[in-house]
Amino acid sequence: MVTLRIAALALGLAGPPVAHPLHTTLTQLEYRAVEKTVRVTVRAFADDFTAAAGGVADSMAARYLRSVVTLTGRDGRPLSLAWCGVRRTGDLLWLCLEARAPASGLAGMRIEARQLFERYGDQINIVQASYGGGREVSLLFVPGDHARALP
Amino acid sequence: MSELRTFIELGFRHIADVAALDHILFLCALATIYRLADWRRALWVISAFTVGHSITLALAVTGLLALPTSLIEFLIPVTIVATCVENLIVRDRTRAPWGGRYRPMLAGVFGLVHGAGFANYLRALFVTPIAVPLFGFNVGIELGQLAVLSLAALGLTLVDRLLTVVFPNPLRVRIALVSTIVLVVAAHWALERAPW
Repeated sequence: MVTLRIAALALGLAGPPVAHPLHTTLTQLEYRAVEKTVRVTVRAFADDFTAAAGGVADSMAARYLRSVVTLTGRDGRPLSLAWCGVRRTGDLLWLCLEARAPASGLAGMRIEARQLFERYGDQINIVQASYGGGREVSLLFVPGDHARALP
Repeated sequence: MSELRTFIELGFRHIADVAALDHILFLCALATIYRLADWRRALWVISAFTVGHSITLALAVTGLLALPTSLIEFLIPVTIVATCVENLIVRDRTRAPWGGRYRPMLAGVFGLVHGAGFANYLRALFVTPIAVPLFGFNVGIELGQLAVLSLAALGLTLVDRLLTVVFPNPLRVRIALVSTIVLVVAAHWALERAPW
């Protein structure tokens, strides 16, 4: 009888079955020395991103992405991010933004990656910055984080 | 170095999170048969679980193994139910097959299932070369498990203290209590996630 009561209590606590998704995106920041540009590629699960952006059409995706991913130069001025397209592989979207690179390259630039924070409290956005010449730095953004400087 | 640290944090956050209730309950089910003095045996079991999930995570992330998400999400609560049933059925492990030393093997096999669960969300997001992210993520998972287990040990000790007031052998009661609650929750998940 006691076991049954415990079982009923446990079922009450069980709530809806929750699989254990990992809400993560990967943002790759690449300094392209020849073109003097910075390319931002965001990998995100298509269903999550589509729900957040309101669709996957270029205009919607670009508007949303530019509202959540920001780059600021060492002088404090935000970089203008141009849309360079989206492609899909399986359940993943690869979203592309590009900006003219500051003369100083990536060092000292500030980045903020807030995509999907408004949807998931446990969202984690990993940023990998490639400076060229093999140098790479990784940062991790969680809700509540602000823009951070690249070393 | 920043990449390693980032993926350690990712692994740690993946486990030490309320949303990871299925993995947390599995760890509780594994640990609930042990007293604090049995920490070495508990560590063997948890380490075997880590080895198991590291294997499938590596296989899945490198593309050598692909399992349907719906099947894995169903099997994860099944492993929790099986662990709880074993907790409830085997009263004296010294008389159990191999003196109860099959538990690390069981945890290792179940770890294979849980690793596939992690991998389904990570496969597409890892970058090449994957060695550092994979290693970092596994270290983070291990640290997260140790944090969860430390809290579980504290909680189970408190439960024992309360049970001692009424029961002369609180460990047996604690095992029955915790295993039954976890079993019911996991069985509920298994039914809801059943792929048929």
